[in-house]
Amino acid sequence: MAQTIVNSKSNKATTNWKVWLGVVPFFLFALLFLFLPSLRLVTASFTAPDGSFTLDNIRQLFTVPVIVNAYKLSIQISAVTAIGGGIFGFLLAYSVTVGGLPKSLRSVLITFSGVASNFAGVPLAFAFVATLGRQGFITHILRDYFGMDVYAAGFNLYSFAGLSLVYMYFQFPLMVLIMAPALDGLKREWREAAENLGASTTQYWLRVAMPVLLPSILGAMILLFGNAFGAYATAYALTGGRIGIVTIQIGAQIRGDVLYNPGLGYAMAIGMVVIMAISLAGYSWLQAKTERWLK
Amino acid sequence: MSYLSLSNVTKQFGDTVVVDNFNLDIDKGEFVSFLGPSGCGKTTTLRMVAGFEVPTSGKIMIEGVDITDKAPNQRNVGMIFQSYALFPNMTVAQNIGFGLTVRKEPESVVKSRVAEMISLINLEAHANKYPYQLSGGQQQRVSLARALANRPQVLLLDEPLSALDAKIRVSLRAEIRSIQKALGITAIFVTHDQEEALSISDRIVVMNAGEMEQVGTPFEIYNFPKTRFVANFVGSLNTADAEVVDPTKGLVSVDGVQFTSAEGTKERKKGDKIKVAIRPERFSFAALQHKDNVVDAKIENITFLGSVVRIQVKIGNTNFNMDTFNNPFLELPKIGSIEQVTCSKEAVLVLDE
Ligand SMILES: Nc1ncnc2c1ncn2[C@@H]1O[C@H](COP(=O)(O)OP(=O)(O)OP(=O)(O)O)[C@@H](O)[C@H]1O
Ligand SMILES: [Mg+2]
Repeated sequence: MAQTIVNSKSNKATTNWKVWLGVVPFFLFALLFLFLPSLRLVTASFTAPDGSFTLDNIRQLFTVPVIVNAYKLSIQISAVTAIGGGIFGFLLAYSVTVGGLPKSLRSVLITFSGVASNFAGVPLAFAFVATLGRQGFITHILRDYFGMDVYAAGFNLYSFAGLSLVYMYFQFPLMVLIMAPALDGLKREWREAAENLGASTTQYWLRVAMPVLLPSILGAMILLFGNAFGAYATAYALTGGRIGIVTIQIGAQIRGDVLYNPGLGYAMAIGMVVIMAISLAGYSWLQAKTERWLK
Repeated sequence: MSYLSLSNVTKQFGDTVVVDNFNLDIDKGEFVSFLGPSGCGKTTTLRMVAGFEVPTSGKIMIEGVDITDKAPNQRNVGMIFQSYALFPNMTVAQNIGFGLTVRKEPESVVKSRVAEMISLINLEAHANKYPYQLSGGQQQRVSLARALANRPQVLLLDEPLSALDAKIRVSLRAEIRSIQKALGITAIFVTHDQEEALSISDRIVVMNAGEMEQVGTPFEIYNFPKTRFVANFVGSLNTADAEVVDPTKGLVSVDGVQFTSAEGTKERKKGDKIKVAIRPERFSFAALQHKDNVVDAKIENITFLGSVVRIQVKIGNTNFNMDTFNNPFLELPKIGSIEQVTCSKEAVLVLDE
């Protein structure tokens, strides 16, 4: 009897050990590329160029106008594209789920969104330059065939508005991907129960569907916000650094073509990490709220 | 004039007829069950009364008013769903008050009606909880209260108990029935559970493949099934192929063994092929009292089913089940022995195909 127990125990121990083996690469990866760099980020942001300890870098985050502006700009562009992409993406997701467009269209849109939400960086910037740049072919078509000279009318792809437009290209598909399942989660019975109790379609949306969806919508928009906030390559490739969002400023400090203060760059990265962490905390709080409702 | 009437109601989806020429009159305060196998059109019929489906043809009237084409939110019909369908973002009290709120009833009316409903379903302690904090049985009671808060003309229940476990199912169905009686509300209850239908209803509509097979009280449906389908679907049943031997005496032969039937062979001719049905509990051992049908039966198997004991016997070459109430003094025959069993003439049913 005792023998068996001992045996089964040691058996269990070996299984446990083997199970852990599978996740070793992940933890190794996380250690090397997440934990250690974060540690380096923290230590480096408190280090002066001569190697001594300093709070200067952190202080500059709040005092140097260029840096304060970079944060403002990043927050603006992230908020604008999160809200814009959020609304547009929500409407699209709505029409292929609850809206009752054909099933085939839905799978096309979802596939497109899966690809487009990951389409960023140099290729995305180039695609826009080729279509809506000064010499872009859509710019040409609009000017030559429709008599609309968008650049003369004040549009500029290399401006805040232009960059926002480009960001939208990966923002709204992400919204579609997050909202489609959430909209599927609206039960047909809720709508019918509401109607049965005398509610109009508007009353159903205002009192049931929207409150149920709101945490998902806000959560998704927060995710979109973070998504835009962290973007670097797209903005850099498109504007070459003329629009000084946070990621571009960090790049400038660390690579140091003109500016060079890695410590300040790291401190700005810490600022970014904080903003992203707050966003993610908000996202998971909202997510937990809906999950509780919908289980 | 009846309170709720469905006349010649037919529903087609594309080319398939799902409900075929349905005619039913329901009195005020009556509790009617739709009983039938999956896919026979019970839900579709109910949804037409609620307004979620529009009949392809036919008419639905409540209190003499034609509601066939009215939108669901223009009718005053309460619906209970199998999945409860409570609004997850609202508390119990808010769920119950929803109908009154959207109908713009004054706050004081909403408040007092909600309180009344909550006490009706005994959930005072849970008024401010959210649906996810309640058990299935509690959620379904809330959904009942939510439907009743609007004082509907008719209450529709689509398999309201089938997501619950057996014990709650039985207690909640008694609760539903007693609330329905107390409020005198007219109700249609959909189920595919015959015991549920038999125990709860004033009348049962047995449906099969979109058609009404039989309408009657639970007593009529159980004891005098008109068709083979009803006989088979309601209660358990022995059926056997038979041949008419003497139509005037009601004599039939089941593979050589003769039975007398009280009714049902008058319109047949000698030699007609028919189906007879005998409920298991109508058989008993032929003791002292002499009965009409006394036949030899070989005991094949005995199974305990709790309150009843099921004995499988072979009469001639045909297998029958016979049920007898269980009690500690019951003397059961030996397996393999031959015993005389009997059933009354009335127990031998002759079925339409
Ligand atoms: N919207 C619809 N479109 C096409 N066919 C439908 C639709 N709704 C129901 N049906 C079909 O109509 C038939 C009857 O369906 P219904 O839901 O009324 O059956 P039911 O008796 O309620 O069955 P269950 O016991 O499984 O709930 C089924 O064959 C079903 O597939
Ligand atoms: Mg059904």
